[in-house]
Amino acid sequence: MQMPIKILATEVVSKIAAGEVIERPASVVKELIENSLDAGATQIAVEAQGGGVELIKVSDNGTGIPASELELAFHRYATSKIGNLDDLEKISSLGFRGEALPSIAAVAEVEISTQTSSDPIGSYMYLKKGEVVRKESRARSQGTTVTVRRLFRYFPARLKFLKSANTENSHIAHLVSQYALAFPEVKFSLVLDKRQSLRTTGNGDLREVVSEIYGSELAQRMLKVEQRDGLAKVSGLTSPPSLARSNRNYLSFFINRRWVHSPLLTRATEEAYRGLLMDGQHPITVINVSLPAQELDVNIHPAKAQIKFCHEQTVFSSVQKAIEEGLARTPIASSKAVPFSVSSGQWQSPRMIMDNEPAFVVAQLPTLELPVLRVLGQLANTYIIAEGPDGLYLIDQHAAHERILYDRILAQWSHKEVEVQGLLQPITIEFSPREEETLKAGKEFLAEFGFAIEPFGNRSYLIRAIPALVARANIIEIISALLDSLASKESPNPWEEKIAQSLACHGAIRAGQQLSNEEMRELIKQLEQTKQPRTCPHGRPTMIHLNSHQLEKEFGRIS
Amino acid sequence: MKLSCLQENLNRGLSIVGRAVATRSTLPITQNILLSAEQSRLKLSATNLEMAITCWVGAKVKQKGDITVPARLLSDFVNSLPNDLIEVNLPANSRILELKSGHFQAHIHGIDAADFPPIPQINDGITTTIEAASLREGIAQVAFAAATEESRPVLTGINTEFDGEQLNLAAADGFRLAVHKTTLSSPVKEKTTVIIPARTLNELNRLIGEQEEPVEITVNEKKSQVLFRLKDAELVSQLIQGSFPNYSQVIPQSYTTRAVVDINEFLRVTKMSSIFARDASGIVRLVITPGSELAPGKITVSAQAEEVGDNVGEVDALTDGEEAKIAFNVRYLSDVLSVLSQAQVALELTTPSSPGTIRPIGVDNYVHVVMPMFVQW
Repeated sequence: MQMPIKILATEVVSKIAAGEVIERPASVVKELIENSLDAGATQIAVEAQGGGVELIKVSDNGTGIPASELELAFHRYATSKIGNLDDLEKISSLGFRGEALPSIAAVAEVEISTQTSSDPIGSYMYLKKGEVVRKESRARSQGTTVTVRRLFRYFPARLKFLKSANTENSHIAHLVSQYALAFPEVKFSLVLDKRQSLRTTGNGDLREVVSEIYGSELAQRMLKVEQRDGLAKVSGLTSPPSLARSNRNYLSFFINRRWVHSPLLTRATEEAYRGLLMDGQHPITVINVSLPAQELDVNIHPAKAQIKFCHEQTVFSSVQKAIEEGLARTPIASSKAVPFSVSSGQWQSPRMIMDNEPAFVVAQLPTLELPVLRVLGQLANTYIIAEGPDGLYLIDQHAAHERILYDRILAQWSHKEVEVQGLLQPITIEFSPREEETLKAGKEFLAEFGFAIEPFGNRSYLIRAIPALVARANIIEIISALLDSLASKESPNPWEEKIAQSLACHGAIRAGQQLSNEEMRELIKQLEQTKQPRTCPHGRPTMIHLNSHQLEKEFGRIS
Repeated sequence: MKLSCLQENLNRGLSIVGRAVATRSTLPITQNILLSAEQSRLKLSATNLEMAITCWVGAKVKQKGDITVPARLLSDFVNSLPNDLIEVNLPANSRILELKSGHFQAHIHGIDAADFPPIPQINDGITTTIEAASLREGIAQVAFAAATEESRPVLTGINTEFDGEQLNLAAADGFRLAVHKTTLSSPVKEKTTVIIPARTLNELNRLIGEQEEPVEITVNEKKSQVLFRLKDAELVSQLIQGSFPNYSQVIPQSYTTRAVVDINEFLRVTKMSSIFARDASGIVRLVITPGSELAPGKITVSAQAEEVGDNVGEVDALTDGEEAKIAFNVRYLSDVLSVLSQAQVALELTTPSSPGTIRPIGVDNYVHVVMPMFVQW
């Protein structure tokens, strides 16, 4: 039985459209918060129950909706935010499509109560299945309250796909947090199932919002990011490498304070942290990028979570540079193993740091460079024990050598001067189909790094030359490890990066190898000359520093 | 067991077998030395399961018997005794070895000899003898070129080919090849090729030391073990199974440039450059400049370290052919130059990316091939 083609009923159309905008309860919250922000609210209170399915209530102190326009606001494509096509080119408000309220009304019961400064009395409206059921005048202070009940009740397909109330709550909490981060000057309050879950002061201090969301200790250690030159102005906070997290949920990006999911900005951030974090670790970052409205297109995704830039590369490098500069002022690695002592005293409450201060105070300690170290000996044939002007250093010989080789390999590669050792007799390797594909894709890179690999028929290959730095290691093992790492999608590093990492790892001295004093001194000397002596290319620390103060404390010489 | 022997002899014997004592082992008894009192001599044995050394020490045996004791303990104690007669006594049904010498005595707790891994006996197979000096030279000129990295086990060994009256030793580590040919004192009955661990042969060279008596070599029928019989010691070793790469095709058959130089001078400039080559994967660049009517030919050896410094050295050379350039890992060059006893050496080249050949002048039993490094000139 085939159905005849026909135009869908209005009710069906609006539900289909609503489905694009309102995906889950958090989408309702998002649309309502954006409306509040566009209305210039300085206080926004969000309340949700039962994961937002039972109740969502968003109240603000914004401009409100005039009584005469209230009904119109629930018509599709009705908006006060843009007027004509030109406005679409330079959108400065968060919303503009005129879809939010009708979409919500299409999938839930909505109550709205609003009051403007000009209307003598506030108005109230109750909608069910998108139809106005009741409309009356009702007093309220200036602002708007939207209450959404029984979300998706007439939309069982969507309801079925919702996760547990807890999961939906957490989506709402994450969302409200993001807006709180984007608008530190707005006072946000979130009550989930009658429990206060978030409250920001709205005093405009981003660090304070971060403190509210991620905790005060973390907030104190976050580094300031600021880049006021050029097309894209970048500002925000980012974590020192020692504060990494194991997923990307802690990356918050805002474009003109619009919360976005941007693979571009994620990459730019990770690029800035390259070599500072271990594999699988991600930073905590809150970044806002200000761009002229005509530089971007937000009208891609109904929920506006994606964004297109006119000058992607500029945005990318501005963000990367800004974060790198923020990080350059950080003390690396040592802070992780040894808790801060005197240098970051408790008196430095984040409140005392003025917004326009050049750098976070702790971050000014110039500890990126190594002091002169005197080798004392080797521990477990794995760690070099050294003395510096301010205490004891334990250096992981493998990680340290890895860092040295990594820098050297990348330097040789960038000067096109990779040292290559020819093989007297080629080594034959047979690759798996997957390895072979990776090899084909990465052939040029591998050649630039000194591998001469020739096909020998039937997935067999001949290795004729290898990088000199790994000449003494197991060649077959290196090549297969290399191909594995190139094929892995987990780490987004560029290939040259992965190749250098892999070569450095295999070429470096191993743990358990006995070193003479001479060799240890040489190793430390070379480590001192690297750019990031305190971390290996995988982001593990190369050294642990026990400062004199700490030693004195441990021995009870001081309290 | 009851016997007496001279401290000097026992000490020497212990230091010989001590080379085969396992340093790290899951089998603790391999860290012991087996002492067996035989007819008028004391037999000392040690094994790390890959290689075993047995050594005989002259002794006055009053009562036969055997025991194993920790190698370090026994050697260190004996070493600290004055050169005097040592009385060694193991009471019946006891595992405590008594050592007595003048005013000094010690008791060492041992483990039953029956628990000691059996030292392989090789009585049949292919047997031959060779002059100690020839074997010593062969090992010295070849063993260093073997691989130390274990990914291709055959390359950690020395390909040993017994062919009639010929003994051909070859070692390669993927970047260089050393081949040495010498004559056996007695021909083998059939052509036999085995791969002997380079470690074993290095130990053998230490054992041969200054010995002048010929060395007897026996490969068992299964070609799994080899026995070297010296004047008063024996070394048995496992052989590496597998087939050694066919190396003859690697040796260049011709050259376009040849330079003959004094080995010691060449070694000196090489070592000089190694100081600067250290920071750059050991790269040294060699340029062979042909001589003219006015000036002799030369080899220029140079090294440079980025942002550190550089150096250049020259050696006069008798050249043949056109100008040539090549870069080597300095270690490969100094390794081979250090083991040659001749006065002069020839360096033969074709292109900067083809292997270079080094042959000592005056003999034709040795050839060394080194693969270059590819650098920007």
